Amino acid sequence: VTEAVIRDEEWQRLHPLSPLLRGGVVLIAVIGYVASQFFDRFLSSINLDGILPGPDIGIGPAGEDGALEQVVAHPFLALLALVLLVAGVAGVNWVAWRFSRFRVAGGQVELRTGVLFRQHRQVRLERVQAVELSRPILARLFGLASVVVQSAGGSDSQLALSFISLNRAEALREHLLALAGQSEVVPAPADHALGTPPAVGDAVASPRAPVVAVPVVEVPNGRLFVATILHGSTIFLGAVLFAGLITAGVLSVGPLALAGVPAMLPAAFFIVLGRGKEMLTHGNFRLVDVGTGVRVTEGLTDLRTMTIPLNRVQALEVIQPIWWRPLGWWRVRVNVAGVGSSGSGDGEGERETTLLPVGTLDDALRVLTLLAPRVPASQWNDAVLGEGPQRGWQTSSARAKLFDPLSWRRNGWSDTDGAVLLRSGRLTRRAIAVPHARIQSLTLQQGWLQASRRVATLHVIPAPGPISPVIDHLDTEAAHDAFDRLNERARDARRGAGPIDPPLAPDPAGLVDWTQHPSGVPEPGRPDPL
Amino acid sequence: MDDPDPATSVSPVQVTLHGGDLPWQPVSPNLTRVRLITLALFAVPAIIATVVVGVLVTRWALLGTAAVVLVALWVAWLISRQVSAISCDEEIVIRKGRLFRSLVSVPYGRLQYVDIQSGPLMRAHGIASCEIHTASPESGGSLPGLPVAEAEALRERLSARGEAQRAGL
Repeated sequence: VTEAVIRDEEWQRLHPLSPLLRGGVVLIAVIGYVASQFFDRFLSSINLDGILPGPDIGIGPAGEDGALEQVVAHPFLALLALVLLVAGVAGVNWVAWRFSRFRVAGGQVELRTGVLFRQHRQVRLERVQAVELSRPILARLFGLASVVVQSAGGSDSQLALSFISLNRAEALREHLLALAGQSEVVPAPADHALGTPPAVGDAVASPRAPVVAVPVVEVPNGRLFVATILHGSTIFLGAVLFAGLITAGVLSVGPLALAGVPAMLPAAFFIVLGRGKEMLTHGNFRLVDVGTGVRVTEGLTDLRTMTIPLNRVQALEVIQPIWWRPLGWWRVRVNVAGVGSSGSGDGEGERETTLLPVGTLDDALRVLTLLAPRVPASQWNDAVLGEGPQRGWQTSSARAKLFDPLSWRRNGWSDTDGAVLLRSGRLTRRAIAVPHARIQSLTLQQGWLQASRRVATLHVIPAPGPISPVIDHLDTEAAHDAFDRLNERARDARRGAGPIDPPLAPDPAGLVDWTQHPSGVPEPGRPDPL
Repeated sequence: MDDPDPATSVSPVQVTLHGGDLPWQPVSPNLTRVRLITLALFAVPAIIATVVVGVLVTRWALLGTAAVVLVALWVAWLISRQVSAISCDEEIVIRKGRLFRSLVSVPYGRLQYVDIQSGPLMRAHGIASCEIHTASPESGGSLPGLPVAEAEALRERLSARGEAQRAGL
C-alpha cells in the first residue's frame, strides 16, 4: 500500500475536492441559505397560493421576490446562470488545485500553494516535532483527511496538507514519522540517505512492520462528560444558581429573582460553550503506544490523530483539580516545541498538548511511565500524592509558611535518572517532570520579602508550552544547591555523557521498535539533534 | 541584605544570588551614569513642581518634595549598588537586581540568537545592551551596559560557542 501512495522526490497533488472543502463551511452556508429561501418561496407559492404572503415579505427584501418571479419566467436564463456559477466555482477550484503541490524530498517536506500570491513552505524532516492527522466532519464525508506537520517555531509554524485521501494520509504520516525518526538516528547526512529510493523503501517498510500499536488508555465519554462538568466555571455557575434559588425561597420573591436571570445569561452561555468545546475536542479519546511515540485519537465531530515522538516531549505534567479529587481523576499534559504555545489559540494548544483529558491515577501513571520510562512509578507516586522531605525529595521548609500556608510541605523537587521531578499544590495537586536534556535555562529569583524569610524560587525552563515548572520558596541554601545540581545535570545531558540519550526515549532493550530499527540504537556520544 | 550568604563559604565555586567568590564581570560604570540621568529626568521636574506649589500655594506640598527626594536618593543608592554581572564557562550566568535578585543561567548550546540594542542616551555613553534568546521566551536574559566593542565581541563569542556546543531543543 505504502509504495503505491508515496512517491518521493516527485511533486504530488492534493485531492481535487480539497479547495472546495477548505472553503466548505462558507459554501454550505450559502447553499443552505439559498435552498431554504427557495424552499420557503416554493411552499408559500404552492400551498397558500399567494393568499398569505405576509410573513415572507416581512423576512426577505422585495427584490428577491422579484428574482424568484424572474426565475420562473425565464427558466433557461436561470439554468444558464446556474451552469455559469457552477462552472466558475469549479474553474477556480481547479486552478487552485492545479497550483497546490507537495513533495517529500531532499530531507524536507515542501508545499507550494497560490496562483497570484504564491507560497512555498518547507519543513526539514529533522525539525518535525509531531505529525497530526485531522478529519473535519466535511472531509470525513468524502473519506479525506488533512496531514499537519508541526515544527518548532511561532504559532504559524505548521504545514498542512489538506486534503488527501485517508489511506494516503495515513501512509504519508507513517512515512514522515519514519523519516523524521530515521534522520535523528542516522548521523550521516540525511539528504544522502533520503535521496536513494531503496533506503526510503526500507525506512518505510521497517517501522511499519514491527510497530505494534498497543492501546494504553481509552477515556469513556461518560467519564469525560462528568469531568467536563466538574470545572471551576460550572461550579461557580451552579453555586450562583443555588444561592439565587435559596434567596428566592427564603425571601419568597419569586418573580423578582427572575430579573437576575438575563444578566446571568451571557456568562452562562460562554461557560456552556467552553465546556461543550472541551467535550467535542476530547471525546472518543484513545491513546496508543506506537513504540517510538504515542498516538492520540480524539474528537467527537472533528476526529484528529496526532503522533508525538517520545523524544520530542519537553516536559510533562499530571494535575488534579480539586473538583476531581473525590473521584480520583487526573489529567496529563505535555510541552512539545512549537505546539500549543501561547501564540496559538487557547483551545488549540489545550487540544494538542493533552495526553490524557481525564483518567484514574492508574491511567495517568501508565501514560507517564510510557513517556518517561526511567522515572520509577514509586517516584511518580510520591510526586502526585506525597508530602514532606522523604525518599530524595527536597521540599521548602517552615520558612515558606508565609507564602504557602497550605502547600509548603508539598512544594519541592526530586532528582531522578534523566529527569527532574517537581511537585506542588495541596488543593490542586500537580507534578511535573522535565528531562535534564530538555532544560533550556534555569532562573533563581528572590524578592525582598523572600530575602527576609531567606527563601528563593527556582524556575526550570523548558521549551514553551502549557507547563511552566517552578519550585517555589526553597530555603536559599537549598535553592542554590538545586541550581548548581540541575545546571550540572543539564550540562551532562547536553554533552550526551549523561545516562540517557535521547532524553526520554525508551530503554533500547525494552522496546521492539528500537532494537529492530535498521540503524540500531543511537550512539551515546552524540548530542541529540532537534 | 548585604551579609554574605552562608552557602558561599561552604563551597567557593558555587554560584549564588549574592555572587560568591567567582570572578564576576561588572557592568560598565557608564550604565550607572545613564540610569542616574534617566532617574534625574523624572525626579528633577517633580521636585521643581512640588517646590513651586509649596512656595506659592501651601506649605504642605513641601512634604511631597521631601518624599520625592527620599525616593530618588533611595533609587540612586539601589542603582549605584546594582551589580549585573556575568561569568562564562559552559553557561553564561547573569546576576542582577538588588531588591529583587535573580540569577539566570543560560547554556551556550541553547542559544538561538543574540540581540544588541542601544538607545540614544546609551549610545552617547558608548554602551549597548546585549540580549540573549533561547527557544523559550521566558528564558534568556539581557546584559545591559556593556561597552559597544565588548558587546559586539560578546555576541561573536556567544555565537561561536553556541555553534560549537549546539544542543538544539
